[in-house]
Amino acid sequence: MLFPTFDFAIFFAIAFTVNWLLNPYPGPWKLSMIALSYVFYGWVGWSYCLLLVATTAIAFIGGETVNAAVGETRRRLAMGLSCAGLLGLLGWFKYYGFLSVNIDNFTHVLGLGHAVPLLQVALPIAISFYTFMALSYVIDIYRRQLEPARPVDLALYLSFFPHLLAGPIVRGHELLPQLRRKRDPRSVDYARALWLIMAGLFKKVVISSYVSGAIVQPVFTAPAQHSGLESVFAAWGYAVQIYCDFSGYTDIAIGLALLLGIRFPVNFDAPYTARNLQDFWRRWHITLSRWLRDYLYIPLGGSSGSEGRTVRNIMITMVLGGLWHGAAWTFVVWGALHGLGQAVGHVRRRSRVRRGLPAVADGPVRIWVQRFLTFQFVCLGWVFFNASGLSNAFALLGRVFSGWGRPSPLVTPLLVLVVVGTVVSQLVPSARVDRLQAAFSRQKAGVQVGLLSLALLGITTFGPVGVAPFIYYRF
Amino acid sequence: MPENAPPQTAEPETSADATTRARAPWTRVLWTCVAAFALWLLLFAPTLQHNAQVSPVGTRRTVALDLLGPIAATSRALQLSRIVSETDALTGRTGNVPGNGAAVTVIGPGHRRATLPRRPTGKGGHTTGPPTTVPDITHPTAADPLRVLIVGDSLGIDMGGPLQNDLANTGVVTATLDARESTGLTRPDYFNWPVELQGDLASARPQVVVIMMGANDPQDFPGPPDIPFTSPAWNVMYAQRVAAFMQLAGSGGATVIWVGMPPMQNPQLSAEMSDVDAVDQQQAALVHPPVNFLSSWTLLGTAQGAYAPFITNSAGEVVNVRTPDGIHLTPAGGEVLSQLVLNFLRGPLHFVLP
Repeated sequence: MLFPTFDFAIFFAIAFTVNWLLNPYPGPWKLSMIALSYVFYGWVGWSYCLLLVATTAIAFIGGETVNAAVGETRRRLAMGLSCAGLLGLLGWFKYYGFLSVNIDNFTHVLGLGHAVPLLQVALPIAISFYTFMALSYVIDIYRRQLEPARPVDLALYLSFFPHLLAGPIVRGHELLPQLRRKRDPRSVDYARALWLIMAGLFKKVVISSYVSGAIVQPVFTAPAQHSGLESVFAAWGYAVQIYCDFSGYTDIAIGLALLLGIRFPVNFDAPYTARNLQDFWRRWHITLSRWLRDYLYIPLGGSSGSEGRTVRNIMITMVLGGLWHGAAWTFVVWGALHGLGQAVGHVRRRSRVRRGLPAVADGPVRIWVQRFLTFQFVCLGWVFFNASGLSNAFALLGRVFSGWGRPSPLVTPLLVLVVVGTVVSQLVPSARVDRLQAAFSRQKAGVQVGLLSLALLGITTFGPVGVAPFIYYRF
Repeated sequence: MPENAPPQTAEPETSADATTRARAPWTRVLWTCVAAFALWLLLFAPTLQHNAQVSPVGTRRTVALDLLGPIAATSRALQLSRIVSETDALTGRTGNVPGNGAAVTVIGPGHRRATLPRRPTGKGGHTTGPPTTVPDITHPTAADPLRVLIVGDSLGIDMGGPLQNDLANTGVVTATLDARESTGLTRPDYFNWPVELQGDLASARPQVVVIMMGANDPQDFPGPPDIPFTSPAWNVMYAQRVAAFMQLAGSGGATVIWVGMPPMQNPQLSAEMSDVDAVDQQQAALVHPPVNFLSSWTLLGTAQGAYAPFITNSAGEVVNVRTPDGIHLTPAGGEVLSQLVLNFLRGPLHFVLP
């Protein structure tokens, strides 16, 4: 079920009412939320629910086994087997097709024929997200950072519908305690929740859809047909599109959860104001970034070893992070680019420290240059992220250098305004937004109703009919 | 990696204003949202009613129309619907777009004048008969490029993207792609392709028109009375629409190429595509001037015509040509059809393209 649909509006009205009516009764509340979450997930196809059940079962048995195991070796073994089971499911559904084609072509080149059976496996929506949550659950128990949850709590933790399809990737210690305690039905933080939902809808339905149709799709579809300026704006436009799409989804998810009395972690923090790639990953898809840090980068050794090992760890983490998004070479290149950029930054910083050089003083020019260059590098990565293949990405990048002197009818004043405006809007201090939310919360009910309906009217009037699914649903 | 990232526990309060934000009981929140939704519904009901009207025939459409009818009538009676219609008029959103909203449209650069015929046409490889339309130009140049228009549904997008790019890469073709998701010839009330094509022909003045359309057409013609898909009356009406569309495409003297649908993973849908292809192929031979029908059935399927997600290309490489939904084409699948069209242009139609 997609958030910006009539179906979901009706679904959420029911879920909201059930949530608060059953709030005093924890058992029925949890069961009803699980049931509603499975209806939400199964709306597209009920078979997907079986996979969610299987993931929950593996995580539960894994968590119990790890907790009951005596001795570090057995604990580690139980944790390893559980993670292998979870990753096995993810690998089969997400990577089998990609791997089989590449292995077959490789063995064909070697004259060994086609070695692996070719199967097209349908990718279940959201599998990457709940698999990562299940992995963190088992590993946190292994690390003794989390107590095993009761089956019903774990089932709700993994399936809770606001985060189910595309995150945020909520950790056990963040969500499980909230699921165990009653929420205060007299104190719903609705002003912030409704702001997030409306802002998310606006970003997704209006901005993302417009930029996609106006420049991104046309230019990425046929780069050879377009000018250098259009190619540059297509890359910038995709940066805006994916930000509005994914952060829009996240805003809606956080807002919906807040209406149900549950708090999710933030997932975006003005990412295009980042001054370097490390800073960017502190602001973009924060819950994935910290997942990769805590469960991959640091276990690999993090930055505690030699410079070479640190660079290796950064590269492994970012390439695997790229592959998490999809089984394609374009995602590998995207991850490698971000890894390379961070590794260069890391080596430069270490070099300065080693040579005893003082930190460079920050001035406005330096800050803006850093922001500009970081944004351009991120956009370079986005070209690979969105391209249909490596040749498509290189074709578009080639046009950036060769396609000048041609007319650029797609670069309209409105497009420039939307692209630049969206990037610049990230500089608005969050305190101002908070003040607006506070002001809204103090209005009379009639005014609130009027403002909300006008906001909805604006979004639906300026948005297209039949909104495309969120980009991150694919992952 | 951001090792020194601040620990995140839950969505943080960001300022003192967060504490000054008034909270409310859930019942008040519910009624506020319901009232806002109801007001929005009243304002937007005519648009929703239109969207329901153009949706596929079935129970969902019937129920939606029954529910929205009185609300939309009230909205019109109170003149509330004018807010949306005036806004649409101001923003130029009243044109022929699917469901009256935005959609995928890819328009190429400016167009040039047609040139004189240079060489007679030859025989086709995948056609139902020999191509008989004489192309206007067979030796396009960068200064005087061949103008190609590509139209279609979502599979038309899958094919049209690679084709547009491949044509542009020749340096002597200006390709315009106008393809729309969820469209076809069965539901002009949702999207009127003849009107759209007329506009495309006027603006692009193509010398070649490539069409790939039909995946959304196996559905009832809305009435009253509804004409069920697969009924004899449906076949007659659909054939008429296909023929009229083909003739319109070639009305300016353009060579028309119709690319057939490939087999689908779902056996029923695949059988429906076969029926649609049969109508298209038959009409391609009947209309005047005849249309070049290129079948994709075995090209993107097995030799027996069954669905195949992977094929082996001429280099012996395995390529994944279908998306996991069992309907659409991957970029590699689109490229296969692009090469089919390009080879047809270069071969039977004798266009000299680098």
